[in-house]
Amino acid sequence: MLTPHKVVAASRNCALKYCAWSMVHCALLLLMASCHDEPEQRPDTPQGNFDALWTIIDEHYPFFADKQVDWQAVGDHYRQLLTDDMTSQELFDVCSDMLKELRDGHTNLIASHDVSRYWIWEQYPVNYDERLIDEHYLNFNYRRASGIKYALLDNNYGYMYYASFASPVGEGNLDLVLNHLATADGLIIDVRSNGGGYLTNVETLVGRFIDERTYVGSIQHKTGPGHDDFSQPFDYYFEPTKNHIHYQKPVVVLANRGSFSATNNFVSIMKHLPQVTVVGDTTGGGSGLPFTSELPNGWNVRFSSCPVRDPGGQVTEHGVPPDVRVDQSAADTPQGRDTLLETAFAILARKR
Amino acid sequence: MLYQCGTGAVRNGRCGKPNTPSLRWGRGGRGGLIVLLLLCLFRSGAARAGEADSVQLLRPVNAMFTAEVGHARVLDTYLTPIAYSGTHLALGYTATQATGFAPHRWTRQLSLEASYAPARNPAHNRTLHTLMAEGGWSLMHRWPGWRPGVNVLLGGSTRLRAGAVYNPSGSNNVVSAHIHWSVGAAGMIVWSTRLRRVPVTLSYSMTLPVAGVFFSPEYDESFYEIYLGNHSHLAHFGWWGNRFDLDHRLSLDLHLGGTIVRVGYHGRFEQSWVSHLDTKFSTHALVIGIGGDFLSIPRRGINPKAKIINGL
Repeated sequence: MLTPHKVVAASRNCALKYCAWSMVHCALLLLMASCHDEPEQRPDTPQGNFDALWTIIDEHYPFFADKQVDWQAVGDHYRQLLTDDMTSQELFDVCSDMLKELRDGHTNLIASHDVSRYWIWEQYPVNYDERLIDEHYLNFNYRRASGIKYALLDNNYGYMYYASFASPVGEGNLDLVLNHLATADGLIIDVRSNGGGYLTNVETLVGRFIDERTYVGSIQHKTGPGHDDFSQPFDYYFEPTKNHIHYQKPVVVLANRGSFSATNNFVSIMKHLPQVTVVGDTTGGGSGLPFTSELPNGWNVRFSSCPVRDPGGQVTEHGVPPDVRVDQSAADTPQGRDTLLETAFAILARKR
Repeated sequence: MLYQCGTGAVRNGRCGKPNTPSLRWGRGGRGGLIVLLLLCLFRSGAARAGEADSVQLLRPVNAMFTAEVGHARVLDTYLTPIAYSGTHLALGYTATQATGFAPHRWTRQLSLEASYAPARNPAHNRTLHTLMAEGGWSLMHRWPGWRPGVNVLLGGSTRLRAGAVYNPSGSNNVVSAHIHWSVGAAGMIVWSTRLRRVPVTLSYSMTLPVAGVFFSPEYDESFYEIYLGNHSHLAHFGWWGNRFDLDHRLSLDLHLGGTIVRVGYHGRFEQSWVSHLDTKFSTHALVIGIGGDFLSIPRRGINPKAKIINGL
């Protein structure tokens, strides 16, 4: 017999069943409605790998306009060189040649058997001989703190050589270095053939040569795959290091074409400080922070991203020109003289 | 302090099996209440003092510790356009309990999970390491189902999920940070029955974030720029127009005395597309777990007429 109680119970059961099934159906519908197509996974073929590389650079590389590179034309040219049966080495060579069109030292194709490169400083005078300095200026008598080689020279100028911004440099290390060189009449910071490293080390080092919050440049990034998709430049500042030794006397920075990437950034900032003179050759550039991506065959590709501008608003991808342009003199080398260093002495002498 | 509460009735002069049919010690079985039995003996004086005419409500916590192993697929185009596949490993904890308010109708659930997924690219020469942690809290209304032993729970949840994907071969995009706070729907269907003589609980649960806030850098924005102070466009309102997450589990709990052994499946689907960056994580995992129903004994002890209300 159907009673009101049974009717209520049956209704409740129906409602619960409906509720449960609705939950499942809603989830499935939402899943279908919300699906977003993921990027195409290209095949591991010569064509697939080439297209992947071309697309990565096309969507991420920031200096096409600055370098006036027609990437579409470059791709069309090198795509004609592809064959279905080409070897891995042949594909690597085609891809490497295509990347060299960018004329960018930050752009490399990295395979297990080789790394493609566009080392711009290989084409320019080296302007640096470590042995010459060790033997004739330092007399092999120098100190080393963290990654910095330093000494108080006979002519009472301080000298410090920082070989790589990848070498961590601590505030305590810098205190020891600058304290040792405190009585010098001037300081020479040698960053020749310093291929770069961490920008945080740039900040650490620059912090000893500024007395107030200092505008040191701007940084941008791409906001999308289009060639003109850039963010507004973000101005950034360095703060003077607090409670540590600062160096107030004249400073000369020695640079060459091997001063690249983070070193390029360091030189661009130091150049705008009033007590600093940059001597040597134009730096190697490399103003874009490199990013890394990957091809279907497992090769890595590193490329410039995030353009950094100097305090003057200039993109320093092509290098920072020195205040005083000097090359190593062929006549000086046999005499054990470093032309750039001698120029630095003369500049510091004038600023005394 | 929590004490284990088994699935049978307490046989003790002061904490014995009451005659009232409303008393439910879990979902069947009479063994495994040793801890609670000892506790009842220890607290018998207090229990006697606490005897009252009003029905005392006890809300055991169904606590489960789980371990997962399965398959993970990781795509994070901030790091690489290539999808990686590998192993998913996770440790989890869930605590389910009837709420303090309206315990007959409402259940709350706390869940914690830490996971690690080393995943390889198709060329098998590089590894992405995904490390994530998640905490979630759900509040669900409980309805008796369409047949005895079935409960349907439906409500809301909030979750905080954070972690990172690390690419050892990256340069300035060496790591991709992920932080996501969300609110959404949570639901469960629980069926308590017996498999031969063993009480079992079969449950399907699902959480479906609807909205929230999540972190994402812009397309090619470096973490160095963020470190320099550019914090614009990092926080995004999450909805089904830019992300979709689904977490669901199918669990079989075997009540072996006072111990609950769990075997199940855990699937997770997580996808976002914002600032021209795509992330997609999916995992399918076998779950094994162990736990039990734990009871926090009131200071005044347990009334013989106490009524136990499970959250499931």
